[in-house]
Amino acid sequence: MSDDLYIRKMYEEYDSIFQQCMSLNTELHKLVPLAKQMHLLSSNAVSSAARAGSKGNAFRVLTHDIQLLGVDVSNCIEDTQKSIVEIVVLASTLARLFSSYATYGDVLRHAEQFKDSATSNDFFYQGQQKIAQEIGDNNIKLGRSLNVLSNILSPISMLTKKGEYLAVFSAVEAASAGEYEASFDAVSSMLRDLVSQLGQQYQRQYFLLRDLSEAMELQQTNMRNLLNAR
Amino acid sequence: MRVETLYKKNSHNWMVMGRDPERRDEVIDTNHYLVQHNGRGMLLDPGGIENFPIVAAEFSRYFDLSNLEAIFASHQDPDVISSLTLWIQANPNLMVYVPKIWVSFITHFGVSIDNIRPIPDEGATITLGGHDLDVIPAHYLHSSGNFSLYDPDAKILFSGDLGAAFMPKDDTDLFVTDFVAHTAYMDYFHRRWMPSNEAKSRWITEVRKRDVEMLCPQHGAIFKGDDVLRFLDWLENLDVGSGWSNIR
Repeated sequence: MSDDLYIRKMYEEYDSIFQQCMSLNTELHKLVPLAKQMHLLSSNAVSSAARAGSKGNAFRVLTHDIQLLGVDVSNCIEDTQKSIVEIVVLASTLARLFSSYATYGDVLRHAEQFKDSATSNDFFYQGQQKIAQEIGDNNIKLGRSLNVLSNILSPISMLTKKGEYLAVFSAVEAASAGEYEASFDAVSSMLRDLVSQLGQQYQRQYFLLRDLSEAMELQQTNMRNLLNAR
Repeated sequence: MRVETLYKKNSHNWMVMGRDPERRDEVIDTNHYLVQHNGRGMLLDPGGIENFPIVAAEFSRYFDLSNLEAIFASHQDPDVISSLTLWIQANPNLMVYVPKIWVSFITHFGVSIDNIRPIPDEGATITLGGHDLDVIPAHYLHSSGNFSLYDPDAKILFSGDLGAAFMPKDDTDLFVTDFVAHTAYMDYFHRRWMPSNEAKSRWITEVRKRDVEMLCPQHGAIFKGDDVLRFLDWLENLDVGSGWSNIR
């Protein structure tokens, strides 16, 4: 592949990273209403269990934990926002820088045709090198930001698993709640359903983040190769 | 694109690059000017990202761009200065003269404020290599923060969008050759893009105070000699801000 095509391809890949970040952000936002519903439903369940007195004690403890879990998931997603914004800005900056890098390649291609030019080609090479330096700096920052995002998101997996257990145990407790069994069971079933949806949604984000990290890793290798080749 | 010398005396020189017959249809025809004095250079409305490679490469033949000291932007449009960051990447100390009111908008191109030299509303003098150039207010013609640049030695007025013309692609004459025929290419542009008759009259009054041998717009052919006065007379009688009347 020619140098120029290679640079343009890298520009497209950064643009693709930018698009992937946007998709991840959209998917992350889908977790918010689920976490809110979980929190609301479990709050109601806690109140119902409290009204049931001693027969609802165990159910109340379990649903209270689910309630806290909904808050934890919401907090987790809130924490990702800053990181996602950083990644989107960095990816779009990198796409722009690669475009500038390619533009300098065009200038050099034109300028190299002229003999006895008043301007040394080094002048343009220096400009291109400055862009390369900026690409390198931003690329490092992008790698760091992706790691931060991955760390922020990792507790969601554990929280989802915990939610599944709590929902199962709340179903077990509902079965032994006497006259409250039917109403507790209905709530427990809805919670199970919500936790399951949360788990599926998280899986989608997990795959998106994995693809993004892989794309980023490939891009960093390509970029190192390009800059080392010069 | 071709580069032509408009004026040359000792170390003082004006060059123009434009009237490109090979440009893409969807890209407006633009003229770019390079003023040189004592080995220092200033680009006037250097253009967009689209034509940066060709503008930089062509001017680099005739002038050592490492001695480029400044860029003058008549206003904030993308065809005027969206290439700004690319110029600064090669020359980090470049001074960018822009209308004061556009400073916080132009920085959206990714330019550092350290490079910006805001031009106050009343105009200013820019000194290039020891030579003074007058910056004349041309607000609302068409942009609300807009300037022309006059060189008293070369008697050249860079007029930005004033005098601009949408010319047929096969007409690549550098200078206006038939003024009356040329008005057909200017009429709609001035009526549509220029919003204020009052601003227009003020600018004409300012220009008439100066001895102008060449009036150089950012688009279309250059006016030379008597065509400069013909243009001012024509513009004086034109009802600008009326180009949308067909829509009503």
